[in-house]
Amino acid sequence: MVRLAGGLLLLFLGFALFYPLFRILLLGVGEGFVQALGNPYYLGRYLFSLQYGLLSALLTLTLALPLAFLFRLRFPLREALLAWSTLPFVLPTPVVALAFLALLGPRGVLGVDLYGTLALLLLAAVFYNLGLALRILLPVALRLQGPLEAARVLGATPFRAFLRVGLPLLLPALGSAGLLVFIYAFSAFGVPLLLGGGRYATLEVEVYTLLAHRLALAEASALMLLQLLTLALAALLYLRLPTYPLPPGGLRPSARPWALTLGLSLLFLLLFAPLLALFLEVDPKALARAWTSEDFTPLPLALGNSLRFALLAFLLALPLGVAYAAAARRRGGLDLLGLFPLMVSPVAVGLGYLLAYPSLRGSLFLLLAAYALLAYPLLARALLPALRSLPESLLQAARVLGATPFRAFFRVELPLLLPALASGSALALSALLGEFGASLVLWRPEWTTLTLAIYERLGRPGGGPYQEALALAALLALLSGLLFYLLDRGRGRIG
Amino acid sequence: MLRILAALVLLAFGLAQEITVLTHSSFSLDKALIAQFERETGLKLRFLKGGDAGETLNRAILTRGAPIADVIYGLDNTFLSRALEADILLPYRSPEIRNLKATLLLDPSFRALPVDYGWVSLNYDRAYFKDRPLPKAPQDLARPEYARLLVVQNPATSSPGLAFLMATVARFGEDGYLDFWAALRDGGVRVAKGWSEAYYTHFTLYKGDRPLVVSYTTSPAAEVYYSEGRYQEPPTGNLFPELSFFQVEFVGILKGTKNLEGARRVVDWFLSRPVQENLPTEMWMYPARRDARLPQVFRFAPEPLGSVRLDPGVMAKNRERWIEEWTKVVLQGQSPEAVRRARR
Repeated sequence: MVRLAGGLLLLFLGFALFYPLFRILLLGVGEGFVQALGNPYYLGRYLFSLQYGLLSALLTLTLALPLAFLFRLRFPLREALLAWSTLPFVLPTPVVALAFLALLGPRGVLGVDLYGTLALLLLAAVFYNLGLALRILLPVALRLQGPLEAARVLGATPFRAFLRVGLPLLLPALGSAGLLVFIYAFSAFGVPLLLGGGRYATLEVEVYTLLAHRLALAEASALMLLQLLTLALAALLYLRLPTYPLPPGGLRPSARPWALTLGLSLLFLLLFAPLLALFLEVDPKALARAWTSEDFTPLPLALGNSLRFALLAFLLALPLGVAYAAAARRRGGLDLLGLFPLMVSPVAVGLGYLLAYPSLRGSLFLLLAAYALLAYPLLARALLPALRSLPESLLQAARVLGATPFRAFFRVELPLLLPALASGSALALSALLGEFGASLVLWRPEWTTLTLAIYERLGRPGGGPYQEALALAALLALLSGLLFYLLDRGRGRIG
Repeated sequence: MLRILAALVLLAFGLAQEITVLTHSSFSLDKALIAQFERETGLKLRFLKGGDAGETLNRAILTRGAPIADVIYGLDNTFLSRALEADILLPYRSPEIRNLKATLLLDPSFRALPVDYGWVSLNYDRAYFKDRPLPKAPQDLARPEYARLLVVQNPATSSPGLAFLMATVARFGEDGYLDFWAALRDGGVRVAKGWSEAYYTHFTLYKGDRPLVVSYTTSPAAEVYYSEGRYQEPPTGNLFPELSFFQVEFVGILKGTKNLEGARRVVDWFLSRPVQENLPTEMWMYPARRDARLPQVFRFAPEPLGSVRLDPGVMAKNRERWIEEWTKVVLQGQSPEAVRRARR
């Protein structure tokens, strides 16, 4: 059973991931690689991607580390604030870009125009990843209590205890959070595409430009290859990080709990200011205009496409995710395989499909395969820890008591896995709703989704289309937020 | 009974006979003309907008396996070679070809047929320059007092932007054009993403702060036409015919069309007199047909003398490099010398 699931998964990965990547490799190495690398223009884009990834990771960690220490304390609304902190992570990139435009764009609420600056791109990266970093650092920070106290008892000053004991123990967590933020920012697409203004572009954006505007497949492949190599290196480092066994820790009482609540609420309010600006700026009339738009894809069509594609791809991603989790349950080596689709950029997947299956260009099947490929790891990675922590004895007990394997699965395992399945589904579905890169590459006009409808309107100047884009972004934000709230409430595992 | 049958046949017929035309985003024609065509032929027309001229063509190439349309309109001479090399078009010797201006027939294989032509050209706001001196020669634009008045389009994302970049290459040469752009950059030229952003957001005529804009030679006439009597004379004017860039827009039948007969009728229709006489005031291009009468308002849009043209082969070979070099100099602030050194 598990074998069959693994086989099917491999078959799908072969079709939807490895063969297309192989084609990119072939074309990239064959024609463009040396040429593209020798071209200072592309080298500049590569260096910028590295710089953006590193700066984003650094900034995010600088903010997340003190936050993680504050969240070790017990104070009112702690759980709610923690749940809120991961909300940006499920927001589609066009929504985040629009939110930042609403706050700090040429028509922004604050009247300060940061469009096309590195500062804006970095702010967006921090907005996106702070919750992620916090979630990774917090469990370790909570368990530092014992070691730190031991160091104090042995005579270390608080500062020295932190420097010599706390920090070294935190390093793996800092490394994994930093690497994840690096991976996300290095290969970011929607944010630099919509906010970079031509001056700043990651490799991912450059590949898209090469494809859409210049149709330079060989150069695009070469750049994609460079990006893949860098990401693979980062992912390898990520998987190599040690985990230290630490004594379990708990929350500590706070001297001034309400002050802490107030301070942290203010901080999150500041963090979410772009989202507030987005909702503040939405004009209901623009929503009505978008509904019946003649110049752009009307809202009902875009919304219908988004929901339809997300649902269809989810039906494909669900068995894939479960199959992967089942196969990887007892084998750690498969972890890399599960991470792999997360590393491969959506634009690369789209490019690979165009190269590998020319006769299928423009068919819906390719789009759904790309969607499923990008969504199933999210589901699987939420499911896997729950699956691994299921005690084998439970299932054996059920079998001994006379349940068939089928019945044992449905009556014992499944109910225990449901919470993890729900939060994985929430992540997968919101990622599908917000998918941007692959949709943009594999796009057909009648398949315009909500994210593409936003992009389409942003491409046109003037207050009208901008207002419509804002309204659509707000709608999409509500949709993903609602999904996240209904299925997950911030409990799930991310990253 | 017979009636119902006839209606059903008509319905089935009507459903099968939809023709999709892929166009660039600036496409527009009189709705009455479209309705008339549909009535006369029983074909139903659907227009798909695929972005700017380059993006539209690339869409067609990237969906070759399952074509998204039957007919493509709007690829221009800067991209013609790409379309022909990608082999996405079917040859069609339309009976209308003999009515077209011979100089526009740039594709001897008759896969891309010219529909219209025009010039990308600098426009200036007459009101702003009423008491101020206009730049006298193209190189004057590079002086700070003019560079900070100019808005251009990014050639990577906009076809008039690309046309203007090519005009500067033709005018100042492979070595000189980068110095010209570096001076524009230092002087404070503004770069917009596309034509409509440059024209409707940054041009002083529309409450922007730039009285010089890259647009078309027909734009002043269009201002008069849409002003509903407010302007007797154009509020804007053209500058520097020697920096104007000649563009031809083509129509073609996409390989893989399920309705070749219908697609051919659509191409014939694009070249027919009623459409040719309608497109000047819809898309502000000059008709390719010799016997098409120009509307009155085109007296404000004389064809520029001495505009630049580049050989299609040269454009095909260098287009990407020019865009890259332009990006390095104008957007990333590199020096022309460094960029020229990197060529080797």
